[in-house]
Amino acid sequence: MIQRLINTTKRVLGHTSQGRHFEVFDDDTFIVSFPKSGNTWTRFLIANLLHPEEPANFGNIDRLIPESEELTKNQLARVPRPRIMKSHEYFDARFRKVIYIVRDPRDVAVSQFHFFRKRRRIADDYSIEQFVTRFVAGETCDYSSWGGNVASWLVTRQNSPNFLLLRYEDMAARTAAELTRVASFLGLGVTPELVAQAVERSSADQMRKLEGANATATVTKNSRQDVPFVRTAKAGGWRTGLPESAVQRLETAWGPLMVYLGYELMFPEKVATSDLPVPETLLNGSSR
Amino acid sequence: MMYSVKRLLKNALGLDIAGRTLAVRPDDTFLVSYPRSGNTWTRFLIANLLHPQEPVTFDNIERLIPDAEAQSSRYLRGVPSPRIIKSHSYFDPRYPRVIYVVRDPRDVVLSYYDFSRKYRHFEDSYPLESYIGDFVNGRLNSTDWGTWGENVASWVFARGARPGFLLLRYEDLKAGPAQELTKLANFFGIAATPELLQAACDRSSADRMREMEKTQGKDWVSTKNKRDDIPFIRAAVAGGWKSKLRQESVEEIEAAWGNIMTQLGYELVTRQAEPVDTQLAGVTTPGDRRE
Repeated sequence: MIQRLINTTKRVLGHTSQGRHFEVFDDDTFIVSFPKSGNTWTRFLIANLLHPEEPANFGNIDRLIPESEELTKNQLARVPRPRIMKSHEYFDARFRKVIYIVRDPRDVAVSQFHFFRKRRRIADDYSIEQFVTRFVAGETCDYSSWGGNVASWLVTRQNSPNFLLLRYEDMAARTAAELTRVASFLGLGVTPELVAQAVERSSADQMRKLEGANATATVTKNSRQDVPFVRTAKAGGWRTGLPESAVQRLETAWGPLMVYLGYELMFPEKVATSDLPVPETLLNGSSR
Repeated sequence: MMYSVKRLLKNALGLDIAGRTLAVRPDDTFLVSYPRSGNTWTRFLIANLLHPQEPVTFDNIERLIPDAEAQSSRYLRGVPSPRIIKSHSYFDPRYPRVIYVVRDPRDVVLSYYDFSRKYRHFEDSYPLESYIGDFVNGRLNSTDWGTWGENVASWVFARGARPGFLLLRYEDLKAGPAQELTKLANFFGIAATPELLQAACDRSSADRMREMEKTQGKDWVSTKNKRDDIPFIRAAVAGGWKSKLRQESVEEIEAAWGNIMTQLGYELVTRQAEPVDTQLAGVTTPGDRRE
């Protein structure tokens, strides 16, 4: 009862996060992805591009590129417009301009598994097979399943000029080129030097150093310090980190979508029975 | 400031409209569609199917199948499980079971135009052709439902293939209500006798619903205080666009959503259709209606 009163008072005063239900403006830009898909890295890259005078770190990133679902109503109201914000939401029609980052779900699953260990949401003896079963069912977070989240954005916005799709793997392979695409999507005039500086300031090594220096930042607060937030930052780790049965489970769930996104399957023969057949013509040709 | 205090007070008392903040239960079933796609008709059909002892009217429909976007959080908390809830929301992965009704967008836009005049969103003088542009580009009175294409694609293609999803086409409901109603009965796990199906169809007929709207419309949450010279229950036909939409308007709609329309079996008249994805047969080809 008292707790309820406190919560209501907090809400009245604007001291709580509104989750999905915050106010969206037409001139907002969102950096959206399923969790553990390189969102924080992209946030650092863009922040370093926009604010060369103030290198991004885990202490200032929530101010430079705020996280829409974490900030309280009052904090959100103080963010100067036009806002660039981070989000993990599945399709939200109110988001007009969206940078969507997608990552191979086999790597995402491994990354989220370790992230949950860090957050003490699963014990060290919890098996990755068990985890992947829940991951496929969309039970590991509130942002739908990986396939639901990705498909909900692609089938609705893929061909909109206000939608930019980035693959984590492309960003890892050619960071500067992908960041230049982001800059032009955001309408920023940038020099190759500025892009190179942003890439340098957001490198995995640099981010690991920053994580160590700021262990109490929002993203890592109250979590195990022996499991890092910035992990291997590599593509394809699933090949050694994921048992075959788990790979098969993921590919059976989302095969066609993975193929469409250019992720080569280990068990292509399973695609025919996939749970999520998204028509390619739709991905390529629907727009608003 | 006053507005926000009023809203917070409503929130605290649970009097706020539930909408997307609705607390979903694992045994909920949702009846979802874009607006003006036959949702109210399907709602009546289902309610009449499940409550044969209580013919459905505009007076009791909010009790039998409440509207998540017209009723308060508190009201919906009070509805006993298992609930069947009506919604126009686009993709929401929290909905455990979904009946999705889709309708040809060329007909939806005509119906939505009349509805918007009924709701006084614009004057009668606002041309239909301008409204088509608004409809296609998402310049609507509310962004709550997304565009037709966003709403339909987000449900059918991000959710449709998993269990607990039933896709119905308005046009199939018109052409053979008993057959579609049988699918609904199966979805709810009830035995559908021909008598039960017939009674549900008769009690949900457009004529009967029009009669009820005349006497009950002034009190129903969705028609209260709206213009009463434009009916909520409109023509209730499929294909009205063929005589009422200009060629340019049809082109505009098909250019935006031709691929989604083709996947759903709506034939295009102004452009070549992309081939239908065979992998999707059974998901987007409703029921036995294989062409």
